[in-house]
Amino acid sequence: MKPHATPSLDAVQQWFQAVVTHPGGVAEGAADEAAQRLIRLDRGELETIVRRSRRLTAEERLSIYANAYWARLLECIGDCFPVLRTALGEDVFDGFAFEYLQRYPSRSYTLDRLGERFPQFLDETRPSPELGWPDFLIDLARLEWTVAKVFDGPGVEGRKLLTHDDLQGLPPERFAGSRLAPVVCLRLLAFRYPVNAYYTAVRHAAEGEEVPIPAPAEELVAILRRDFVVRRYTLSRPQHALLESVVAGASVAEAIAAAAAVSDLDALSDDALAAALQAWFRFWTAEGFFQSLESRRRPI
Amino acid sequence: MTAVTAGRLGHPNLGLGVGLRSVHFDHILRTQPDVDWFEIISENYVDSGGRPRYVLQQLAERYPIVMHGVSLSIGSTDPLDFEYLKKLKVLAREVNARWISDHLCWTGVLGRNTHDLLPVPFTEQTLRHVVERLRIVQDVLERPFVLENPSSYVTFTRSTMEEHELISRMAEDADCGLLLDVNNVYVSSFNHDLDPEAFIRALPHERIVQFHLAGHTNYVTHLIDTHDGHVIDPVWDLYRLAHELTGGVSTLLEWDARIPPFPVLHDEVLKAKRFMGERLAPGSEKDDKDDRDSKDGREDLLSAGGSLVPHPLHHIPPEVE
Repeated sequence: MKPHATPSLDAVQQWFQAVVTHPGGVAEGAADEAAQRLIRLDRGELETIVRRSRRLTAEERLSIYANAYWARLLECIGDCFPVLRTALGEDVFDGFAFEYLQRYPSRSYTLDRLGERFPQFLDETRPSPELGWPDFLIDLARLEWTVAKVFDGPGVEGRKLLTHDDLQGLPPERFAGSRLAPVVCLRLLAFRYPVNAYYTAVRHAAEGEEVPIPAPAEELVAILRRDFVVRRYTLSRPQHALLESVVAGASVAEAIAAAAAVSDLDALSDDALAAALQAWFRFWTAEGFFQSLESRRRPI
Repeated sequence: MTAVTAGRLGHPNLGLGVGLRSVHFDHILRTQPDVDWFEIISENYVDSGGRPRYVLQQLAERYPIVMHGVSLSIGSTDPLDFEYLKKLKVLAREVNARWISDHLCWTGVLGRNTHDLLPVPFTEQTLRHVVERLRIVQDVLERPFVLENPSSYVTFTRSTMEEHELISRMAEDADCGLLLDVNNVYVSSFNHDLDPEAFIRALPHERIVQFHLAGHTNYVTHLIDTHDGHVIDPVWDLYRLAHELTGGVSTLLEWDARIPPFPVLHDEVLKAKRFMGERLAPGSEKDDKDDRDSKDGREDLLSAGGSLVPHPLHHIPPEVE
């Protein structure tokens, strides 16, 4: 429509959004088809929609919103992935985030979901293949997003959790047939790079100290929240397999079998196997991995 | 002095409060400061299942809480988000929120959220649209609701009334309260070449339930509502006027970037006491000018990125061992 006709509130808002969120800035945004479909303006006609002030033109005033839009959201994405931002450097990180926000603009009332698809976006675009470590970036993004979600997601603070003493009193065959309910905040992750160790190293690094990007190596990690603080645990392959089976609802015996299938666990003597399992469960219960245990008779 | 009508729509004057920010959680829990009340950013807590909500629950046992949102998007032509409203309602009940507030703005259309407080044109169509939605929001929330005048950086040629007229008629027609952000009046008036005193004088003062105070950044050609510093003297002067016209309402200091230690924040809002009594002698008991002047912002505007952006919403960093 020509500017002399009065556009509806809906058209004004769609136009305004198209203009101030355009990646090329206000002038490009106003000239873009998306904005022109709503309010057709020739170059220099912005002031038929937005008034100039004594000191600024309409384009300059609209640019306050445009600059703020990108600056704010880039900063927020960076805050969601601080270690990844450190790894990449701010400029490279912002480049990825700028592309991401164009592909997946926020559609939620909360900024807490702004980075939800960033790991997926990195996987889809496989950035920096020339550097040979897109998997590192993707894994690190997954770790940071998981940490953020566990930090402010549902937890078990103030609730009674399964203790090692609860398990001690059970006959072995009853324990084997039982199912363990993991705490609601437990997450199990498998990485292609040791990003959890890298995450720790970056957090502990002195200011200005550069932490080298690690070589690829499998890293298996459990994450949970206890006393409102996120805790991270490196797992061996059989430990990870066992816990994955538990989370999937398998019985303890089935979970142990799953662990044996990915390791030489069954090559151990019965006593050595029992000692290993006991040590694992003692540690996991002490750290609050399990909410409860359901045996065939009654829940504990 | 203008006659004071029965004020605040009957809501209490909670005194002098500050915005609750996660960097101060430990200090507040440890020292239990003598603050009259806290205002939270609703979006930081409605979905929280972790420490932020736990801290809030603890504070709500000791301090009055007010919920201040940035995502209602009352002016948007998109449908209202009833999932969001339901969450507000649940949290308000949980913390016994004295009232819930948001801004006269829109945040996005076509399902998108820019996470900014975008300006509405001041027209009869906008007025009808906002009033209709305010009635729905108040019916859903079943709790006092107040709307804030945002800082703005543009005005529309199609506007047929002043902002204060839209706000006044909106508050009357929708029967809602007002949150008068004194700093926003100053910022917008500077940006739009208007008189901030006239704006404040024109409002229905008996509907003003709360004040906001904050710092801003002066880019010479325009002001930006950055909430990153002390309240400047001209804003305190407007506060004194607003205090006289309303008879005094709950006052809250917002500080959202370059956040100082908690006692600095608290001291800042306590300065409001100086502006509540008799008119002070010119120049007395005032702070040094602290309007953080920037270089002329003009050259930055058409290039990407400014050094400071308004931050209506916060990221609460996770605590990780």
